Amino acid sequence: MAQQQAIIVLVDIANALRERTLRGNVYLFDNMRFLGSTGEGTGDLVTAIPGSYWSDGSQGSEQVLNWLPSSLGSIPPTVPRGYHTERSQAIDRQALEDLTALAGQGTVPGADPAAGLADIRSRVGTRARRARGGRAPVGGKLLDITGNAVTGAGTAAVNPPAPIITDVTGEAVDEKIMYPAQYGSPDMVSDGWYWSATVDTARPGTYAYTMHIQLHELVIRDGEQVWEPVDLTCDSAIRVTTEPKYNAFTGAGLGPLPVPAAPSP
Amino acid sequence: MKPQVNIIVLVDVVGALSERTLNDGNLSLVDDGQFDSPGQGTTRLCTVVSPGQLVQWTAVAVDVQTPVEIRSITFLGSGDAALEEPDAADAQDVPAHEGTAPDLKVWSGFVPPYLVPGAPYRYRLELQMHEGPNSVLHVDSPALMSA
Repeated sequence: MAQQQAIIVLVDIANALRERTLRGNVYLFDNMRFLGSTGEGTGDLVTAIPGSYWSDGSQGSEQVLNWLPSSLGSIPPTVPRGYHTERSQAIDRQALEDLTALAGQGTVPGADPAAGLADIRSRVGTRARRARGGRAPVGGKLLDITGNAVTGAGTAAVNPPAPIITDVTGEAVDEKIMYPAQYGSPDMVSDGWYWSATVDTARPGTYAYTMHIQLHELVIRDGEQVWEPVDLTCDSAIRVTTEPKYNAFTGAGLGPLPVPAAPSP
Repeated sequence: MKPQVNIIVLVDVVGALSERTLNDGNLSLVDDGQFDSPGQGTTRLCTVVSPGQLVQWTAVAVDVQTPVEIRSITFLGSGDAALEEPDAADAQDVPAHEGTAPDLKVWSGFVPPYLVPGAPYRYRLELQMHEGPNSVLHVDSPALMSA
């Protein structure tokens, strides 16, 4: 029975954008440490891929890899995918209500409509455009990690879009050890798309591969805030092992079941 | 007569590890034999077989990302050592697959000719779920019965 293995790609987006490299700014985890994966929690993960083969030499079980990118300092990927849009709408609704209340105070002596407007403007936040051709799923309000709107002054607190894997290449793919592809998922919390690969476990060895990861940097272009895509790469490896299947009752070939002479009481 | 009977061992690993039991709906046994085995979908499956048939057990995890495998299948004798509780220290042993690949064991064998027809031969089914001190759980309720 094939096992599905998850590889979490945790990116420190702020540092990666500053240093323009993922080297040292990415942390990789998988769920195969008990089968020999090494480098868990570092950028040097080598994922153990246990395989097996039948007595005639054919492949006994394939393995499936799933890459799940995540980021430090972002809204967690486990919140529903409509969260960003809903928060933007909620903030706008609240601003409209505040404006209505402010309009009602127009004739109240001593009220300062200008200060009230400035206050609302600071809470309604700003928007960032999606760069032309960019894959960022956002084009809406800038939110911080708590889901509140961020105005121009506080861009350091902006919650960056989650990292996106755009391709998986390298030796393991060239050698046809693994066959990666992007899949759509009905899963509402992982944003619908993920990279996955089936692995040919018939050829043992250690194979390197490269993940192409797109981050997004908030820049000012033509007076507008824009999420500019930044493409970086991250290397990792798989170590494929393979062993023969055997009959668990006999330790070797097929035989009669070890049933006692008399039925159990 | 069908040459082979498959028994699927369907495990809710998260449920079993959380409640530390394979009962209460965390384990479901189903077979595809031709004799209407009683207890389908429960831990009390009594698979009805004929002498000479090949029986194969296969573990399937409900959540595909949680590894589970059959650690052992032991037929219970008439009140002998096989019925004793497994040694606690033994259950905490290094998992049998440590350092080796899972999916190596194939649990299958022929039904011997000497079974008494109509009498259930119960077996202990031990499952290994990932690793750790409570990762091995078992049930004694399933059985094979000769038609």
